[in-house]
Amino acid sequence: MIHLHDVKKHYRQGENSVLACEVSDLRIGRGEQVALVGRSGTGKTTLLHLLAGILRADAGTVEIAGQRIDAMTEPQRDRFRGQHIGMVYQTFNLLQPFTALENVLLGALFGRGAGHDAEARAKSLLERVGLADRMHHRPSELSVGQVQRVAICRALVNDPEVILMDEPLGNQDKATGAQVLDLLLQLAREGNKTVVMVTHDPESAQRMQRTVDLATLRRSAS
Amino acid sequence: MRLLSISMRNLRIRMVSTVLTTLAIAVATGLYAAIMLMAQQTRDRYEGSIGGYQAVLGPKDCSQLELLLNTIFHVGDAPGQVPISVCDDLRAGKVSRRGAVRYAIPQARGDSISRWSFPVIGTVDEMFSLYEWQRAPLQFAAGGPWSFSYVELQELGERLAAHESARRAEEKSGPPRPVIDAKWKRAVVGHRVARQMQLSLGGVIVPVHGKHGEFGYHEHPEAACEVVGILAPTNSPLDTTVFLPLSVHLLVGGHEGGWFKVEVPSGKNPDDAAKLPVTARQLALTAILADPKDHLGAQFLRRDFGTRPDAQVAWPQDVIPKFLQQLGNAADWLEIVAQLVLVVAAMMIAVAIYNTMNERRREIAIMRSLGARRSQIVAIIVGEAAALSLAGAVVGVLCCHIAALALRSTVEEMTGVWLDWTAFAPRELYLLVGVGALGAIAGLLPAWKGSTTQVADNLSQTY
Repeated sequence: MIHLHDVKKHYRQGENSVLACEVSDLRIGRGEQVALVGRSGTGKTTLLHLLAGILRADAGTVEIAGQRIDAMTEPQRDRFRGQHIGMVYQTFNLLQPFTALENVLLGALFGRGAGHDAEARAKSLLERVGLADRMHHRPSELSVGQVQRVAICRALVNDPEVILMDEPLGNQDKATGAQVLDLLLQLAREGNKTVVMVTHDPESAQRMQRTVDLATLRRSAS
Repeated sequence: MRLLSISMRNLRIRMVSTVLTTLAIAVATGLYAAIMLMAQQTRDRYEGSIGGYQAVLGPKDCSQLELLLNTIFHVGDAPGQVPISVCDDLRAGKVSRRGAVRYAIPQARGDSISRWSFPVIGTVDEMFSLYEWQRAPLQFAAGGPWSFSYVELQELGERLAAHESARRAEEKSGPPRPVIDAKWKRAVVGHRVARQMQLSLGGVIVPVHGKHGEFGYHEHPEAACEVVGILAPTNSPLDTTVFLPLSVHLLVGGHEGGWFKVEVPSGKNPDDAAKLPVTARQLALTAILADPKDHLGAQFLRRDFGTRPDAQVAWPQDVIPKFLQQLGNAADWLEIVAQLVLVVAAMMIAVAIYNTMNERRREIAIMRSLGARRSQIVAIIVGEAAALSLAGAVVGVLCCHIAALALRSTVEEMTGVWLDWTAFAPRELYLLVGVGALGAIAGLLPAWKGSTTQVADNLSQTY
């Protein structure tokens, strides 16, 4: 499902070029749930952005669902991301002026289209995560746990094959975080979706099928 | 959900900026629309109002344009006097045998009625029998004409001349001053006069000396006239005119000083001239409406009055189009100024949206992370700019028409043009589309900036 080979990504810091992420080889199967762990600065978030096509690798290949996204143009990557990848962020990244339902529909608008089907699916997802009576509330009117559930619904609204999560539970207490993660993993299992989660939290990582330490993926490490 | 709904939401969030920018566009568009409305309606009104006027004769000591603006469009005060002898000669074919006219109708003006200052014109009943508006006699919506013939006017002129000559000679046993006969106290009013004053047949109008509210104005209760006819609408200044028998105009109190056109003979001073006897042929008019029998007759009239010292002939079909051309040139320049104001307003839109781009980087990054293409980000921002300018344009055009409604009395007094505030010209639709497009173009720069937002760098901020 996901295959990264000899991937490198550098950032420029002034006149210097810093290696932000290096992956010699990483394979993740369809429906697999993987936790990416590692020290700060090892390039976990950069790797997620490479998988999402937000960033483009300087070298190597990134293949998702049989398609080389490193070879795609930017508009092609944008379209691919909208249709095949759902993302959940530590900072939730909901748009404040829009209601919960509208935030979920935004995901559909830039993905497979925000027609009547998408609206029905968005409402169904929100009901599924217990937000039937909060659909028309704005993020500032919701609790942290509710906001996170809206973000999960937005990630799932296009029925993507891959879900990428960047420290999704970082802003919650453990009990609420565990509930939300369980819910997401359950939904992912039902849809046979591949889940890649970046986390610092060992308990969260244990809930995934496999844990990958990013430090072990570097060519120098292997 | 559509991209446009995101644009609308963004405008709502920044309500103060949205309202201020919309107002700027509204002012610029309203200015442009007002210039277009004034220019178009002035052109239509002036071109449409000269259809009933072949030739207008009047005093020599004013311009032809001044004479026509006053006679046809009621603009300003009467520019002077012309003796009735000119009218007599025209009617008798004495000016030039080949310059014969179908009619020569005398007019005298100076009074008005009501707070709207509808002009009162003294004339003869040929105004309703011989005069033609758009090639047909004036039509009545109600009632009919009054009766006061040119012969009666000449007889009255004789009596006035006898009385005035005796007064000038300081004869104590001279003929008495004629008074207004009850049968002359009749009025025919234009359609809008009747509508605005809610006049119907049998109603009474009282002429006012000068204009309502002006220094020295006063009513002429002795000349109160019964409305016997209401003209059908013509969409011309005739709609705002009150026609009375010329006898009423002459005989109201205070008009004695203007009864006769007296030239000061060479070698005499004005005090001496005031003692000279007068004749009926010196009875003073402000204008004469004439219609040459044929094209050749018009040429002879033009030639004869080119040298005549006491009157001139003005041809509306010649003078008014030239005037409108000059007016059009001025309007064109004003339009250019308005276009520049619009461009400045469009730049304000660009600046207003551009300045929000920094605070919107995260919002744009989130949309990009959800799969939004750069082109969609451009569409959202350009949509904001276009919607903003279109809203401003609609408000501006509406305000222009509301202003036309509020100011039409003032405009009519100044220009003779009665603004039709309900008339929406096709050019206004083009203006709306054009301003919307201009706004969209103005949105391109901030849209480009927004579309180049770095996604990864801006996703990690907390809300």
